[in-house]
Amino acid sequence: MSLSDRIEKLLMSVQKPVRYMGGEFNAVMKDPDSVDVRYAFLFPDTYEVGMSHLGMKILYHSINARDDAWCERVFSPWVDMAQLMRENDIPLFSLESRTPVKDFDILGITLQYEMSFTNILEALDLAGIPLRREDRTGGPFVIVGGPCAFNPEPLVPFVDLVALGDGEEETQQTIDAYKQWKAAGLPREEYLKMCARIPGIYVPSLYDVTYNDDGTVKAVTPKSGSGAPAVVKKAMVKDLDKAVYPEKLIVPYGEIVHNRIMLEIFRGCTRGCRFCQAGMIYRPIRERKIDTLMALAEKLVSSTGYDEISLMSLSSGDYSCLPELAHRMVEKFAAKRVRIALPSQRIDNVLTDTLKETQKVKKTALTLAPEAGTQRLRDVINKGVTEEDLIRSVTDAFDQGWSAVKLYFMLGLPTETDEDVLGIADLAEKVRRCYFSIPKERRAPGLRITVSASVFVPKNDTPFQWSPQLNYDEVVRRQQLLRQALARLKGVDFKYHAPDISYIEAVFARGDRRMGEALERAWRLGCRMDGWSDQFKYDMWLKAFEETGIDPDFYATRPRSTDEVFPWDHLDCGVTKQYMLREWEKAQRAECTPDCRKGCTGCGMKRYEGACV
Amino acid sequence: MRAMIRFAKRPRLRFISHLDLQRFFQRAVNRTGLPIAWSQGFNPHPVMSFGSALALGWTSDYEIIDIKLSAPMGRKRTEDAIRAALPEDLPVLDVRMVDDRHPAPMALVKMADYRVTLDGEGAGAILAQIPAFMARENVPAVKKTKSGEKEINARPLVISMEPFENGFNARLMLTERESIKPDLLIGLLADMAGVEPPEAAIHRLTLLGEDGEGNLKPLLEL
Repeated sequence: MSLSDRIEKLLMSVQKPVRYMGGEFNAVMKDPDSVDVRYAFLFPDTYEVGMSHLGMKILYHSINARDDAWCERVFSPWVDMAQLMRENDIPLFSLESRTPVKDFDILGITLQYEMSFTNILEALDLAGIPLRREDRTGGPFVIVGGPCAFNPEPLVPFVDLVALGDGEEETQQTIDAYKQWKAAGLPREEYLKMCARIPGIYVPSLYDVTYNDDGTVKAVTPKSGSGAPAVVKKAMVKDLDKAVYPEKLIVPYGEIVHNRIMLEIFRGCTRGCRFCQAGMIYRPIRERKIDTLMALAEKLVSSTGYDEISLMSLSSGDYSCLPELAHRMVEKFAAKRVRIALPSQRIDNVLTDTLKETQKVKKTALTLAPEAGTQRLRDVINKGVTEEDLIRSVTDAFDQGWSAVKLYFMLGLPTETDEDVLGIADLAEKVRRCYFSIPKERRAPGLRITVSASVFVPKNDTPFQWSPQLNYDEVVRRQQLLRQALARLKGVDFKYHAPDISYIEAVFARGDRRMGEALERAWRLGCRMDGWSDQFKYDMWLKAFEETGIDPDFYATRPRSTDEVFPWDHLDCGVTKQYMLREWEKAQRAECTPDCRKGCTGCGMKRYEGACV
Repeated sequence: MRAMIRFAKRPRLRFISHLDLQRFFQRAVNRTGLPIAWSQGFNPHPVMSFGSALALGWTSDYEIIDIKLSAPMGRKRTEDAIRAALPEDLPVLDVRMVDDRHPAPMALVKMADYRVTLDGEGAGAILAQIPAFMARENVPAVKKTKSGEKEINARPLVISMEPFENGFNARLMLTERESIKPDLLIGLLADMAGVEPPEAAIHRLTLLGEDGEGNLKPLLEL
């Protein structure tokens, strides 16, 4: 019986068999004999999550644009399927051709969040690929990329290559190098050395790490004669108008998290919020021109049949010609009944005109992220937003018929006090009053305010990388303080979670190479799908740390001195450590740094050719 | 005018639920570039309807989707446009253009033909019960409906059943009031044979309706 038939046999007895089905419209099929390189792209989470991810779509279609390569998708099977696959000896397979992953040439894995790391070990194991790089004598090279690649150290024992920065060009270069390597018939290590010369590619096995007596990193240095650079600079696409962008998107059958056209209007962010890793590592800001976007949108609408376009970026309100773009989009697609959605709305940038345009087609909850409850704390985190901005935006929105507002905050930010925590409830109350300030006949009925408070996780490559994470018990106390304050407000919902997942996330965000042991142990103890609260096993994680002699507090809650060498210091994300340190010190004084479009703030991006022109 | 489209659901896509298939077609018709008629009202959607929902896991050679067009279109152009908007495993098999007064496909369906392929132990015992089943006048069965369970007589709902080596073909009633699904039928035969129901691949061959003279015909020929 063929592998495909054996897979089919299992599908009757799993939840959501569409996850493993493939065969979607616009999925790319090729003759395996017609290509030189077979590339498996793993999104280490479920199909519904992975299929909502823009980066994967971009790379999938850009690799498949080549005649000599075929990129196929792989997702983490849900726990029920994983169990059946083991019982029936079915290896991890690609969706398109149902080929075992171990038969591919390259396995690319995107690292979107730390809590997917155990899924990577699970995937390697299901694929029948030895977990540790040094145990592999054949099979695909394992390349990881994505935001978490800027501190890949906890994953180093398991991967061959790390791709830093924009993937469009470096991915193609790793494929080119693979072809050369294969044609030359060289040993496996030679491919890694060839890749070490590609801009943005970090080859961890070519570096040695030494430690100080206190457990901190002393240095990460390239092995002598390896030819690897002392510091690996990230890859950067200079001009997004010239960069590849898919003109076709796979249209899934089942419902996925984001089931619509995603149009990336720009990459990077100039705001400089000090907690935000994306705002640092995706610099510099690069916009696509309106004409480019209009042409892409038209092709995507006709190739997918979607009735919604989401204008994607880190902060879409900052697009330099947003009113014109929104207007032209709405004008062009209204007749085709295609809605235009603007996510990541920022409160200082809600343009009344744009709101009206979007509203013409659809009215969803207004989503705002003040992040902190008081002006002082918003200044600490450099969220350049004032209470007046917020009040104006929500009043405008209520006046125009919105009745649902979602407010996002973080608890445990550096310097946070009880006054800041209670400030969140004050802000919610003020939003409530804005609604009632609109005459009854003008406002939409049914006010709904949702306050969500996540737990702050200090991330590598941000100005807050020196900050300890707030300890568990104190987080719980502040959550309860806020819950009680919000309970007094009618029509306000409060959403929060136990801090356990955020704690493990913090451990890995700033973890080092030694963390790989704990990761593997946790996986062996049954940890996987850790981003899913119903699967997350906090006790097993703590056990894994204990058994491997790793103190998680050393990574999560320890204050770091400003001269500490970090495990990721040899990876250059574009923004310099000096800049981040300056920002960290300004944060202590609650001093703001303006948006760098108002004047260069010296983040270091200008060291990159073609950036910030 | 309307386009009645007959398409197949191949094995690979047999896990698309009816609801997901409806959503899929909303997008698929947008891709066709055809002049689709949209419903009026607060939440406009393309005007379309299906012949009969196919259960999850079944395959078919006779699925019907009926799409209303806002302007006249030739049969061939319509067929080509739909074909291009569907994946390989949902191939278009036939298209018939009808005018707006033509009854909706769902109203036309009276019966369906199925091919049931059985796998595993108990298959032979089940097939051996077919003559006994057909000879009876009354086969009590419990049918699960939205509102609960209902006692029915299954026998008159089974028009015919013809065994072959590892399965049988069956013609079964399929109207709103009178219908029986092949999996229920397999369960009844298994009960009669005193075995566990084996694994079954259920494939719909045809949807049938009656013409003005009461003759049974495939739906698209009515």
